[in-house]
Amino acid sequence: MTSADPTRGTYFITEDDLRALTGELLGAGTEVIAPVALDVCASPSAIASSACLRPGVKPIDIEYRALESAAQLNLGSGLPVLSLKQYFLPEYEALCCWRQHGTEIEIEAVPTEFAPRVVLAAKPCDSAALAVVDKVMNWDYADELWNGRREATTIVNLACPVVDESCFCTAVGTAPDDAKGADALLTPVEGGFLMEATTDKGRALVEAHAARFTAEEGAGGAGARGRQAAEERAAARARAAANLEIDAASVRDWIDTHFEDPLLAALGVRCNGCGACSSVCPTCHCFDIVDEEEGIGKGTRRRCWDTCQAPTFTLHASGHNPRDSQNPRYRQRINHKFAIYPLKFGEVLCTGCGRCTRVCHAGQDLVEILQAIDIAARRREAVSP
Amino acid sequence: MNIYQPQLALVTAVTEETPDTRTLRLELKDEALRNAFAFHAGQFGEYSVFGAGESTFCIASPPTRKGFIECSFKAVGKVTSALREVNVGDTVGFRGPYGNWFPVDDWKGKDVVFIAGGIGLAPVRCVIWNVLDRRDEFGDVTIVYGARSVVDLVYKRELQEWASRSDVRIVTTVDPGGQTDDWKGEVGYVTPVVEATAPQAQNAVAVLCGPPIVVKLTLPVLERLGFADDAIFTTLENRMKCGLGKCGRCNIGPVYVCKDGPVFTAAQLKELPAEY
Repeated sequence: MTSADPTRGTYFITEDDLRALTGELLGAGTEVIAPVALDVCASPSAIASSACLRPGVKPIDIEYRALESAAQLNLGSGLPVLSLKQYFLPEYEALCCWRQHGTEIEIEAVPTEFAPRVVLAAKPCDSAALAVVDKVMNWDYADELWNGRREATTIVNLACPVVDESCFCTAVGTAPDDAKGADALLTPVEGGFLMEATTDKGRALVEAHAARFTAEEGAGGAGARGRQAAEERAAARARAAANLEIDAASVRDWIDTHFEDPLLAALGVRCNGCGACSSVCPTCHCFDIVDEEEGIGKGTRRRCWDTCQAPTFTLHASGHNPRDSQNPRYRQRINHKFAIYPLKFGEVLCTGCGRCTRVCHAGQDLVEILQAIDIAARRREAVSP
Repeated sequence: MNIYQPQLALVTAVTEETPDTRTLRLELKDEALRNAFAFHAGQFGEYSVFGAGESTFCIASPPTRKGFIECSFKAVGKVTSALREVNVGDTVGFRGPYGNWFPVDDWKGKDVVFIAGGIGLAPVRCVIWNVLDRRDEFGDVTIVYGARSVVDLVYKRELQEWASRSDVRIVTTVDPGGQTDDWKGEVGYVTPVVEATAPQAQNAVAVLCGPPIVVKLTLPVLERLGFADDAIFTTLENRMKCGLGKCGRCNIGPVYVCKDGPVFTAAQLKELPAEY
């Protein structure tokens, strides 16, 4: 066997070598974020989400966390409780610090450059979400904090077999074997994984650990392992498609032109505005900005995750609230994700991970909602000339 | 330094407009930034008191007056209450200017009608002074301004100054019950007073800002007076945080008010869901 030639696209790596590679990264002081067994004591915010709340939903038993050892790396098929969002848009993130001396204020900038780090075994829906959110973070003003973390991070996806019936990535323009937003894709095969490096950062990772990889025989995955991977991946795509098939462009146009339609206007009737869907969503990026005093005359300005499902989100100082009940707030969620964002940025603000459906204790089911809108959209197409 | 980090600004003047509304004059502390600072009438900024947070207001002074900016606000929340406590010589934070602006240059040769209710005069005041500082370029200038009561009228000294000018027609009004014994202006809501004032619409534009109910009720009156939808301008005061098109808070239908607005024509407003 020969070592990998990083100019070629596809390599083979055994699980042992993948763990050894992980150990090499950790040994070099590189932060490695990957799925690990859920530790509810270590991340209390995961407790509520980890419970199996709905029939037919697999219990969630893994989360993305910075690895302490390569042995922790979980290469199973489950979905981590939260997406990768927290590693690019932290739940609480310092924007600047201030210090007051009399009437003088001194502002301390926060770093916008970050140490290189690697994400291993990312879910394709989670990396794709980063590429989707890249758009809003750069459509005019560039968000240096987001971009700094994106540039410092090499993401290796692990092809997903499709977790359960709440998954619908193929309906929203991505796939269980997509490398969108990532730098490489691992596909499980007999004896290990096929690894395709899709960006320079992905190729650099292979090059830096070339001894761990072997060049895959048969260009373009034409070898036996390549054929096996292709079959697995096609089967996973079919499983996702069986959960939900919609015409995303028709859904977008229908929502855009049916703001007052009873279907959209009554969507929030079961929702109680807890905002869990926004927290677990890999693409929800709305935030608040708050000042937190840390002692007298000093403190930190932070942004923190927010949700359009909360009544305070749009509440004016005067008391006027443009979205004054849950129905318009839920409609905004659907409108923003499936019409506004696609029309403005050319991307659906959803990657079909299904976390919002699984976590909702009121039973709001995005698969059901999108199906209903798709039917409405197709019916309109059927009657229009 | 990232896009959310504010500049430091010195408070150089404070004007108490009403018992709960005040105007601050701010000068950026960094001399190079202060000299380079430029904006257009209608743009806004994020003002902050460190420890209380940031709040969004339009820049209430005109771009024709250099070296400082002014903001006017009513103390109703955490940040505005903190801003109410600052004094001359204190330091606050400022980010901006953000958003689009009133196309004042396109109005050359036209009559300009300003209509404002309550604190809604703040963004309109910026445009009024911008137009008055370039008075020769425009036709007739009419101002209709109303507040709940005499005490709630903001910019009282400027209202008198405008009233004393022969090249400005100004009508001030207070809501019924809000008048005092010596009140010389109208008594009535802004909308019927606009209708009674009846500014002519030919070759004219209207600038309208006030509480959502005033805007909603006055738009049809302007239409009846003959103003076309694309000759009526307003500025939306949606709740904002970042001002940079990221935080999602001011999104209504296809627009982010902070980036695509805050200035919209009535024609654009009609295309939006009524979530403002």
